[in-house]
Amino acid sequence: MKRVAVVALCALATLMAKDYKSVIESPDATKILQKDRLPPAKRYTMPKNCITTDPLAIARGKYIFHNLNGKKAKTKPPKGLAKYVVVGGKKKPKQYGNCVACHNIEGAKGPGNIGPDLHNYKKHFIDSGVRSYQYVYQQIADARVHIPNTHMTINLTTKLFTPQEICEITSYVVSQKKEK
Amino acid sequence: MKKMISIALVLALGVAVVAEEKLSMTEADRALYQEMLENNPADIFVEEGAELLDELGGEEALAKFLGVKEEDLPRYIATFPRYIDKIGMVVALDQMLQAFMYDQGKKPYKLKSSEMDALAAFVKSLANGEKIAIDVNANEHMQKAYELGKEMFELRRGKRGLSCNSCHSPDVVGMRLRMQILPNLGDPKVKAAATWPAYRMTKGKMFTLQKRFQQCMKNALLAKLPLGSPQMVALEVYVTNMAKGQEIHIPGLKR
Ligand code: HEC
Ligand code: HEC
Repeated sequence: MKRVAVVALCALATLMAKDYKSVIESPDATKILQKDRLPPAKRYTMPKNCITTDPLAIARGKYIFHNLNGKKAKTKPPKGLAKYVVVGGKKKPKQYGNCVACHNIEGAKGPGNIGPDLHNYKKHFIDSGVRSYQYVYQQIADARVHIPNTHMTINLTTKLFTPQEICEITSYVVSQKKEK
Repeated sequence: MKKMISIALVLALGVAVVAEEKLSMTEADRALYQEMLENNPADIFVEEGAELLDELGGEEALAKFLGVKEEDLPRYIATFPRYIDKIGMVVALDQMLQAFMYDQGKKPYKLKSSEMDALAAFVKSLANGEKIAIDVNANEHMQKAYELGKEMFELRRGKRGLSCNSCHSPDVVGMRLRMQILPNLGDPKVKAAATWPAYRMTKGKMFTLQKRFQQCMKNALLAKLPLGSPQMVALEVYVTNMAKGQEIHIPGLKR
């Protein structure tokens, strides 16, 4: 008899515990996290004719460098670059690089200082032989290959950009700039 | 000569002012911030929360539900998120309140509702002046939650491959992301976990800590984790532990 009572009490206790759990919102996020996973670091070879002096390509690279996304961008994007894209049948703002959030560079407005200053990059890093185009391309595509714990964003392995777009951003960074 | 020096000085000062204005808060912003510090717009939500708690039986009923003396309630509230035996899981304050509402025969507010934000803000404000007393070693449940939270904080993901750590690790806090200073979440001046729910001046609304996490996720293109998910609660455990020992002050006031 005593035993029955204990068993009943235990059952009641677990029932009550279960009851609380069933009224508390606690959705599992495992699937969301799996879909959001960052693939391992990847080494890339710069495509042929990647670095260009074509003003329009550089203008697109520059626009991607200085803007966060198509919704926030105030100026009109250069030809060949959209403000909105269709993803899975839905119109969404196109994401840009927002590199200026971390890097200062010629003409930057409100730049951050988490990453190195990229002023005069051509003179200091390319012409001096410190960096190759391939290095810069890889840094922008997936910086983890150079620095495993980098704080920099990953731009190609995440498919945020196409190799073509990475080329245009790289071309902008290494270009000779007029403004201060 | 003197004149030239003073012109140079004025010029230099001018530059300094411009540089200052580029930073996140202008003089006008700062004046507004000072004023709001004394008169936090979120106070009305907290008061609304007080009324909601009254409808549920007040502090007395809550203390009873939690199995603590009413005078010990503030100190107990300062220990959240925590494991609660009769619930059987690690819960944040709002989830505990869902269980409490159910116990009082009421339909629990949704975690994303503004009623829950108000209720949770008021209940947390009961612990104002108490020090954050989370215990991540209290039991294996808390230890696991802490480990999971650390993992969530350091996990790089999303379209830009960023983690919370990318912007809140000791080696970058204090640096500037565009015009915002990256906050050290445990710093006594920030003490994130001790100050949320807080009023965000830039959004004109009060948000809970988990909702603030979601805003960072959205900005940095990390998939938003749902409120109350074990992963999100774990993240709250981890971030709360950063501010352990700091005095609670609800509602906070943030940029
Ligand atoms: C969240 C911060 C952050 C963002 C956003 C960011 N970077 Fe960086 N970047 C860094 C840091 C930090 C470094 C220094 C090296 C490191 O830690 O990886 C760096 C290094 C670099 C370098 C190498 C400089 C050198 O020669 O050593 C280049 C080039 C560069 N970034 C370009 C870009 C471009 C282009 C973008 C946008 C598509 C960008 N960065 C976005 C943080 C950032
Ligand atoms: C790309 C950079 C970046 C990433 C990634 C990021 N944050 Fe933030 N976070 C910021 C900045 C900048 C602020 C301050 C914003 C302001 O001043 O308005 C901030 C503010 C916060 C605050 C409020 C601090 C306070 O004042 O009380 C919390 C809490 C927070 N972040 C948590 C997180 C968590 C958790 C994650 C990961 C899920 C995360 N952040 C990811 C940049 C970031």
